[in-house]
Amino acid sequence: MTAPGGVARRAYALLLRPEASVVVVSVALIVYFEIANRNFLTDANVQTLSQFVAAPVIIACGEIMLLICREIDLSVGQVFALAPFIMENVHDVGVPVPLAIVAALLVSALIGLAIGLITIKLSIPSFITTLGMLFLITGLTLTISRGYPANTEGGPVLTGIMGVWGYAEIVWALAIVAVMHVVLRHTRWGLHTTAIGGNIVAAAEAGIAINRIKIGNFVLTSTLGGLTGLLEAFRVGSIDPLAGGSNIMFLGVASGVIGGTAIAGGAGTIIGGLVGGIMLGVLQDGFTLQGINAFTFDIVIGAAILIAMIANIHLARLRTIGGRA
Amino acid sequence: MSDAKPEAIRAESITKTFGTVVALNGVSLRVARGETLGILGDNGAGKSTLIKILTGFHQPDSGRVYVDGRPVSLNSVDEARALGIECVYQDLALVNGLSIYHNMFLNREPLWGGLLRLLDHKTMRRRAREALAEIGVAVPSVELEVGQLSGGQRQAIAVARAVSSNARILLLDEPLAAMGAREARLIIDLIDRLKSRGDIAVVMIAHNYAQTLEICDRVMLIQHGEVTFESRTAATSAEELLDIVRREYRAARTA
Repeated sequence: MTAPGGVARRAYALLLRPEASVVVVSVALIVYFEIANRNFLTDANVQTLSQFVAAPVIIACGEIMLLICREIDLSVGQVFALAPFIMENVHDVGVPVPLAIVAALLVSALIGLAIGLITIKLSIPSFITTLGMLFLITGLTLTISRGYPANTEGGPVLTGIMGVWGYAEIVWALAIVAVMHVVLRHTRWGLHTTAIGGNIVAAAEAGIAINRIKIGNFVLTSTLGGLTGLLEAFRVGSIDPLAGGSNIMFLGVASGVIGGTAIAGGAGTIIGGLVGGIMLGVLQDGFTLQGINAFTFDIVIGAAILIAMIANIHLARLRTIGGRA
Repeated sequence: MSDAKPEAIRAESITKTFGTVVALNGVSLRVARGETLGILGDNGAGKSTLIKILTGFHQPDSGRVYVDGRPVSLNSVDEARALGIECVYQDLALVNGLSIYHNMFLNREPLWGGLLRLLDHKTMRRRAREALAEIGVAVPSVELEVGQLSGGQRQAIAVARAVSSNARILLLDEPLAAMGAREARLIIDLIDRLKSRGDIAVVMIAHNYAQTLEICDRVMLIQHGEVTFESRTAATSAEELLDIVRREYRAARTA
């Protein structure tokens, strides 16, 4: 094999990766929106864009881990809404805000643990467990809040870090992406998550603790959902009982799947979730700038998700053929 | 000739029943290091039950198993594995979406980075290449996903994994099933090389008489949970084995 041939083949293989095609589409969209509307790449808009992107990307980091090991969490958007109210209520009884944040994250983690234990120990499909949890947690949030929004508390430094500073949320998102990328690609946890989704019998044969890993990924996803809810609450400055919900969950799942995570498990990347989230954010923000009608907007987003997924599945096939040749 | 080699595994009078079904009725076997034993028999004859007892998956109702001449109780797959007994199943063993080297080190990955406990991909790749070269398995790259390999290559990877994890008693469940001639040749050559190392005992379950006779030093016929025939392969033929099976069929039909 000659060196140039090797380089060309590597470049071809890279382009066939699902993340790469999404990056190409995202760049094309950014160029289009910048030409169509000179305000797209201004500091103010990039900041807004980063806020569109951050929340789905953090949620995606959890959902990708679950999807890879053939599970899903439909209730993560409800934990998103619950966590700030837990913080608020804990703070109201005299606990300082930082500790109240920790308490909210702990409750989020416990919800994940409950989902995991029910799913694994009682052999309920996670689709069903978390569908039940979705309603249950919504009711819990509405009960705790009595349906009223609340304001976030805390000093300027803390609230700044937690989301008031314009780029705080995207910094959180990128840091979490970096850590989760290492977890997925460079730790036994990530490798075993992939192995479980790829061939659960082989994983069991190798002695992998399947239940521990699946439950751990449920805990991770719920915790990230709670954290995202807290960040969004601090950024907006108010806590909304109807925040998040299925919308943010589906954006997270869609980010992962657009970025190449297999719905059937066994494959996926965190970086893919990031670029998938960026693509969705660019679409959302770009169309908002264009002043496109909110009804049309959902049609376009839906179509974009479909096209991205179809492209990915076909690219995956091409990639396999390329590998065999 | 095989008597001169040290004994690797021996089973004596193994009996196993499932409810009212007698799966194994006093089956004995003995395999030396560097020797290959082929077990032939119809579906439901008890071959798989025997293998599952040797891997610690099932426990026998009566009878004993000896490894290196010492009596052992194989209460679990892990216990059997700790004694160097490993079974390679054709399609269950590997994760298609993972690379060859990840598969070869699944759940015994070398780590680096101290407390960070990161996967040592470099060491895995190197040791995977070495392990494959040692038993003569050729792959274009250890970074290929297992799903992109042929059935024979996958089987070879699974065997290499078992050998590199220090398996000294290798149980192969239908290693040649559903394989073309070229693929089968890959595995036959691999088993030959394992044999020539001299330290590994191979027990293989098979259906194809001619192939089994070609690969193995000895063959054993299991019918209705009993050993009905055993011979050095050099001293028997596919015709003789088929004759015994036919006779059995006739006896069963007239009974």
